Amino acid sequence: MFKELFNLALLQHTIRTATPLILAALGGLLTQQAGILNIGMEGMILLGAFFGVVGSYFFGSSLAGVVLAASIGALVGLLFAFFVIDLKSDEFVIGIAINILAGGLTVFLLRSIFGVKGAFSSPKIISLPRLNFSFLDNITILDTIFNNHTVFIYISWILVILAYIYLYKTPYGFWLRASGEYPKALETAGISPKKMKYISSIACGILCGFSGVHLSLGYLTLFTENMSANRGFIALAAIIFGKANPIGTFFAALLFGFFDALGTRLQVVGIPSQFTQMIPYLATVFALLIVTKRQLAKANKNREVKGIEN
Amino acid sequence: MKSILKKGNLEYLTSLFISILASLLIGALIMMANSRSPLVGYGALITGAFGSTYSLATTFAKTVPLVLTGLATAISFRSGISNIGGEGQLYLGAFAAAYVGITFTNIPGFLGIALAILAGALVGGIYAFFPALLKVKYQVDEVITTIMLNTVATLFTGYLVNYPFASSQGKMGGTEMITESFRLSRLVRLSTLNTSIFFMGFIAIVIYYLMEKTSFGYDSKMVGQNSLFGRYGGIKDKKQMVVAMVISGALCGLAGVFEVIGVHYRFLQHISPGYAFDGMLIALIVKNNPIGVILMSIFFGALKTGSISMENAIGIPSELVSVIQAIIILFIAGETGFKNIYKNWRLKKLHQGKVGEENV
Repeated sequence: MFKELFNLALLQHTIRTATPLILAALGGLLTQQAGILNIGMEGMILLGAFFGVVGSYFFGSSLAGVVLAASIGALVGLLFAFFVIDLKSDEFVIGIAINILAGGLTVFLLRSIFGVKGAFSSPKIISLPRLNFSFLDNITILDTIFNNHTVFIYISWILVILAYIYLYKTPYGFWLRASGEYPKALETAGISPKKMKYISSIACGILCGFSGVHLSLGYLTLFTENMSANRGFIALAAIIFGKANPIGTFFAALLFGFFDALGTRLQVVGIPSQFTQMIPYLATVFALLIVTKRQLAKANKNREVKGIEN
Repeated sequence: MKSILKKGNLEYLTSLFISILASLLIGALIMMANSRSPLVGYGALITGAFGSTYSLATTFAKTVPLVLTGLATAISFRSGISNIGGEGQLYLGAFAAAYVGITFTNIPGFLGIALAILAGALVGGIYAFFPALLKVKYQVDEVITTIMLNTVATLFTGYLVNYPFASSQGKMGGTEMITESFRLSRLVRLSTLNTSIFFMGFIAIVIYYLMEKTSFGYDSKMVGQNSLFGRYGGIKDKKQMVVAMVISGALCGLAGVFEVIGVHYRFLQHISPGYAFDGMLIALIVKNNPIGVILMSIFFGALKTGSISMENAIGIPSELVSVIQAIIILFIAGETGFKNIYKNWRLKKLHQGKVGEENV
């Protein structure tokens, strides 16, 4: 049975399930670095999945689906930023409102545009193209990892590297991080922290849109109610677990994708999947505990040192 | 009554009224965009929610979980600690009630009901205690921990209901029915309204009294305001937060209990369609005022109930009301910001006007 579970198919499954997490988490880590806790990712993914199907169905191309989903994502990101930054609303209130809005709106539109309840599928929905590097066909392991995936899997890997370079090797990334940690200092330097926060939020919306498209146009071409199925929260878990660093977050998302894939396969063999599914959530609580405990200890130590100096 | 009409409150009530009106207007525009009459639609919604004994009963049946989860949110938020884990606490409370209902079948009905209520409140409270403890002891952000624990609870009950406690009648994602004597009786034919509404009324009075008339309520307001300014008080404040959180969790647990012993008579894998999130929106809209929670819950319950009639009358999907509800909260959440923008705009205009006069 061990062989049945842990094989190359599991690896392939992991890569597939991790991708929407990676994409959304990349977006969320940008807002996280800019000092905004975004729990509206769940809704943003759901909207992306829905509008991906809408675009693909009506324009007969998956690219149209991607563009529409990304535009809607950008719009929601803008809305989120406007409320949180300009209107100074509570970020998690707006996040929850976006999640509820997305849940209601997608079901409402599903019924009023397509006239169906629950799920919509049609041969007219064009799926994302898949890539195949024929020179890898004969090397089984590389074939499994690199071949026959939809484009977003490769894009997500490239984006991880780009996000890392952007955040840690360019001034823009430095400003983005500063807008979260030292907004006052950034302002004195003549750069608007507000602008950086807006950029991060819009980018987050677009990336969540990609994440949604990968769900609805990736392997199955269909939209179902509540399709995001907590992925926004697992993405948040990956961000916290990976300390909002693109590389760390990538591996956290990959790990959580692995548990998800493992859970699905366990269920097929008749073993309850709930406990493997719980791992990302529980891991996050423990990770948070460890991180904040360490910070607290550090802060206390600093205080002691200062006390001696005085 | 006097205190309700204070200037600040009046200003807020105006904003609330405008927010609701604007959201309903957006709903009307959506109906018109689909070339349906909003007058007929909203007319059907109102009669569908209040027009007959059955519809009234259904509206009030829907308010029970909303009031409980709404008060749960209000009591925690006011103390400066955010319980976003209501959904998980609700699921655990519901399962605890079902467990009592299928296990202790020999005890008299009233004792069984009391035991189910106690078990649900206890389980919900304990589940909220952990994130509260992490918050006051290690400053772990409770927003994130409670969100994460939601899914842990729904997964855990999902496991229980599909494996050790699965109903013998096919795979339906539900437990066995609870003993008949533990079931709360229905009040109106065909509707799910049951005696849990009296329990809810009693609980609401207790919570109102606790929040508005006791030193606990006063202290919790103080703690809440302190933590708003980022100050963490002493041991007493921390205790206050933990207690508020536990009460909050217990209330969500109770919401689950009443869904089991009043409505479904068993635990179901998807027993709540997000009641705790709706309750949270309600509390946020009324700024954690307990009376406001009750009134807004009735409004939300009416929207949900009436939306079915609206759909039947003009063919607009009933989910439109969830969209309207989410827009209300967006307006309310942006209230202060909108006001500031408006004030700045007026100041600017006034200023420009003056400049213009000088030039003349």
